[in-house]
Amino acid sequence: MMDPDSIGALLARRGVSRRALLKYSTRLAALMALPAGSAEALADGLARAKRQSVIWLSFQECTGCTESLTRSFNPTIENLIFNIISLDYHETLQAASGTAAEAARLAAMAANKGKYVVVVDGSVSTRDGGVYSTNAGHTNLEILRQTAADALAVISVGSCAAFGGIAHARPNPTGAEPVSAIITDKPLINIPGCPPLPEAMAATIAYLVSFGKIPELDHLRRPRSLFGDSIHDRCYRRPFYDRGLFARSFDDEGARQGWCLYELGCKGPVTYNACATLKWNGGVSFPIQSGHGCLGCSEPDFWDQGGFYRPLSSNTTSTGTVVAAAAVGGVALGAVSALVARRRARLARQETTP
Amino acid sequence: MAHDPTPLVESLLHEIAGLLADLAATGQGARIDLLGLPIGPAGRAALAERLGRGEVEAALDAGGTSEIWETGFAGVWWVRHFGADDRLATEQIEITTVPTILLSQPEDIAIAASRLAAGLAQHTELPQ
Ligand code: SF4
Repeated sequence: MMDPDSIGALLARRGVSRRALLKYSTRLAALMALPAGSAEALADGLARAKRQSVIWLSFQECTGCTESLTRSFNPTIENLIFNIISLDYHETLQAASGTAAEAARLAAMAANKGKYVVVVDGSVSTRDGGVYSTNAGHTNLEILRQTAADALAVISVGSCAAFGGIAHARPNPTGAEPVSAIITDKPLINIPGCPPLPEAMAATIAYLVSFGKIPELDHLRRPRSLFGDSIHDRCYRRPFYDRGLFARSFDDEGARQGWCLYELGCKGPVTYNACATLKWNGGVSFPIQSGHGCLGCSEPDFWDQGGFYRPLSSNTTSTGTVVAAAAVGGVALGAVSALVARRRARLARQETTP
Repeated sequence: MAHDPTPLVESLLHEIAGLLADLAATGQGARIDLLGLPIGPAGRAALAERLGRGEVEAALDAGGTSEIWETGFAGVWWVRHFGADDRLATEQIEITTVPTILLSQPEDIAIAASRLAAGLAQHTELPQ
């Protein structure tokens, strides 16, 4: 018998079939690069789980991350995420404000003590006790420490929460820090990007709810499945890079032919994100496809890496060390298919349950 | 965009052939996520042409529509899910006897059974 409080029961009451949930899970499993049979396990896990209480804190940010999640393209499938989580507190989206909003946050914390997930967008001001960003008379620093104390896990959404982002750029007047510099005793996931891909946020939360654990993370605490490959690894302009064919200005013949944007400052070789495959606005395009190099927005301190239009090989970091980059035109043909084959082999050689 | 997807499509076909041989020998299926590969719409169209169409085609409507067909190679299925706005949400090659999404799901069957029974009960209670 289905638990009436489970997500499965909730979806059934809303007329969402298990087949629709399976379809959603197929997408999530693909996003998380889970083995082939995992869509069924994911659907099962989601159906049995209770909705995850989420407290969303917005600090020094531009609301782009919330926009990205709420405007995710696919109203039917993607909006299922809002059936999976119970968004108990979100300053930007909720109707309450001021003292009433604070009371809502404290009530949600008390009701789900030790079980709620804190999602943070925005960096945290720490200079002069954090006075440069406050809310209802409390500094972001205070609110974060207080809210995270009884959390199950913390998810830093966007490059500001994950790495400090734009507020952290030199000269960093507010002493902006990422969440990881402040919360050191909780499981923490970074989903960087400016903004992050909505699918990355939705898939990570769904994984957490369904399997009750944190997905495999890289050294920067990013989910490996979504941030495991560089933009360059997956870029459709890569064959031009491999042949040494580069656009040298935004309107030269090379640019018109769709050649590689490396010399125009593309940071794809040192940027790990899924834009090249998932793309934006429902898979329509991504910056490189629109003729502009990757800015590297999902990497730490992307704002201070020496200029968006300078080639990687001429960039210097703030400490003067040359940024590591692939050598221009130095990769043998066939590297793409080899990489793709390796990745596919990882994904594919798994059992499906017919 | 001047980008020839042929080498990738060829390597993909080799992989599908290997997986299909596994299915034939051991019954073990597999899935390949096409949207995760840098082959683009042109590559997917080229692959679809090479695989062709087989004996089964299905359409479903669950959280958006889906198109599913068995390719010209038995056991190799093309599964394409769309969201409500008709944008492609997933596109996968499934190497299996039948894609799971086509099966009636036990939970939906249970709900359908009670719905049908309730409907019948209501019908028999109606005054003649
Ligand atoms: S340098 Fe940029 S444009 Fe060129 S192949 Fe790499 S990611 Fe693509």
